[in-house]
Amino acid sequence: MKDVDVEVEHVTRVEGHGNIIVDAKKGELEEVLWEVSEAPRYFEAFVKEKPYDQLAQITSRICGICSIGHALTSLKATEDAMGIEISKQDKMLRKLALHGENMQSHVLHIGYLALPDLVGKDSIVPMTSSHPEELKTVIGIHSLANEMSRIMCGRTTHPRRLIPGGFSKLPSPLELEDLMHKLESSVTDLKEIASFVKGLSSELPDFERETEFISLTHDDEYPFYEGKIISSDGGKTPVEDYLSVTNEYVVPQSTAKYTKNNRESYMVGALARLNNNYDKLSPLAKEVAEDFGLSPVCHNPYMNTIAQLVEVVHNVEDSIRIINELLDRGIDEQGSTHKPEIEPKTGRGIGAVEVPRGILFHDYTYDEDGRCTDANCIIPTNQNHGNIQHDMEDLVPEIIGERTEDEIELTLEMLVRAYDPCISCSTHYVDVDFVE
Amino acid sequence: MNIIIDGKEYGFEPGQKVYDVAEENGIDIPTLCFNELNPDERPAGCRMCVVEIIDDGNNEPNLESSCTLPASDGLEISTKNKVVYDERREVLELLLSEHEQDCRNCGISGDCHFADLSLEYDIDGVSVCSECPNRKDGCFLSRDVLCLGAITHAGCDAFCTRNGDPCEGCFSVLSNEDVLVFGLEAYDENGFSRKEVLESAKVFSYEDVEVLKRLMEENDLLKEEVSE
Repeated sequence: MKDVDVEVEHVTRVEGHGNIIVDAKKGELEEVLWEVSEAPRYFEAFVKEKPYDQLAQITSRICGICSIGHALTSLKATEDAMGIEISKQDKMLRKLALHGENMQSHVLHIGYLALPDLVGKDSIVPMTSSHPEELKTVIGIHSLANEMSRIMCGRTTHPRRLIPGGFSKLPSPLELEDLMHKLESSVTDLKEIASFVKGLSSELPDFERETEFISLTHDDEYPFYEGKIISSDGGKTPVEDYLSVTNEYVVPQSTAKYTKNNRESYMVGALARLNNNYDKLSPLAKEVAEDFGLSPVCHNPYMNTIAQLVEVVHNVEDSIRIINELLDRGIDEQGSTHKPEIEPKTGRGIGAVEVPRGILFHDYTYDEDGRCTDANCIIPTNQNHGNIQHDMEDLVPEIIGERTEDEIELTLEMLVRAYDPCISCSTHYVDVDFVE
Repeated sequence: MNIIIDGKEYGFEPGQKVYDVAEENGIDIPTLCFNELNPDERPAGCRMCVVEIIDDGNNEPNLESSCTLPASDGLEISTKNKVVYDERREVLELLLSEHEQDCRNCGISGDCHFADLSLEYDIDGVSVCSECPNRKDGCFLSRDVLCLGAITHAGCDAFCTRNGDPCEGCFSVLSNEDVLVFGLEAYDENGFSRKEVLESAKVFSYEDVEVLKRLMEENDLLKEEVSE
């Protein structure tokens, strides 16, 4: 029986710094560890004493990939605390912004971070010569998604136009119409990407571990912007009781908090959303899911990447529907620099939004001047750390006998990547050292 | 007949100036005192187009303005090196110290060659207003919307204000105090309070808030609070 010693510090092609450690002596597994070594960020402390209209701008900086998601979750918490209602039109526009971001983030993960594993390359760079056409299609969709974020939010990253009570500036009907046409013509490209990935899907490890999936759910739509919290183990929870679901705790190997609900860990993200809301997917998205044999409840975490692909198709289809509806009813114009009248008041508000990596919570308390006195943010990746650890504990014994250190390492790295963790805000490539 | 610019040989017509040979060959040399509107007027007054004559046995290393320097066979010059860069930077700084700072009301803000050069030569003291096309009545400050552009480093090409949103100061507060005071005067004139300007600037420039506070007090600018 062999000794296995894998130390991956840090896992590449993910956001931020995380390490994998596997230690086995004579075939006996002694330790499997998913470590998060990122320094704490302190955003909850930054926003204290800040006025309510600055919080979304500040917290959107938590992430460069899902900054729209953070901004919207933050705004929803603030609007909840102060009893601010937004118009139907603003809600539709916010949903569009969220679709744009979800597409952008998912395409980045599928195309630039996960695909190299499936085609057997170290990174996207060698793919420029091995798969130039496929890569161009991926980049085209990614650029369209960025363009969509810019049209909706004024900027591709760190939205500028999302403010408490609505939008500071609206996209013009012409911009929306142009965007719709571009989305319509992207459907062919998406089908191409789907069939390309389909041809490689046998490379995805066939590993299953039963776990709990947590996401939002909504009676009328596939939930991104709003809904109640649902668990695949059964039961819905109103967003205001989110703490009863997240149950954060601290582990020694991680600077990030872990969470658990009914079981020892749970999963959030595209696969969780899809498992809990499959019926609400758009027609073409369902078709793509069926094509990959992806149906609820899927317990293979590697299929998260495929669930993301399905969601991108849903994002495109649903965006076309929303823009059509907006153009049909006509856009209510507002001034070139709109600022809704808001009377700050004291209170606590909670926002929950499905961002690319899963369900995100912001929870603020304000004093009578509208200054934040207390804040809590629970990020999707935090909620996935526990599940990654437990997946590894189950997966390693399955593969330890039959595979080399290199193969074990790759399988585990692919597992971490499948969760598309956003450990913080940096991506870099670091070579792996084995400890002899 | 050839002249050597940045190590490469180029042919030229007798009587041509070094600047024109460079321009014909796509080598960028900045100018301020003449431009496409009056290309024939060459007062040779700005000295931004200086190049270095490399020592070739006949010429001592020297800085010359390329718009007046005749091309001659075998002449070797450099358009890009530290000496040239430093000289141009100094020229720009001197020009800037004399320059009207009222970018907010200037007819060419948003498309200003001077501002572009100042950024290229890393000169502190150019605010987002110089890159912003919303002049006079179009300025956010004239519309009672707090925009941090007047005290914020340029370099973003005024992305937010071009796209209809006020500047939130993400390029941080300028360190040139003269320009800062000028910017603060704009907030003062438009009735903003110290509190709201400081609070807004604090988000991206926490450490500069004390400087802003001091400048407000020293120059007696902006009221503590604005009465509704």
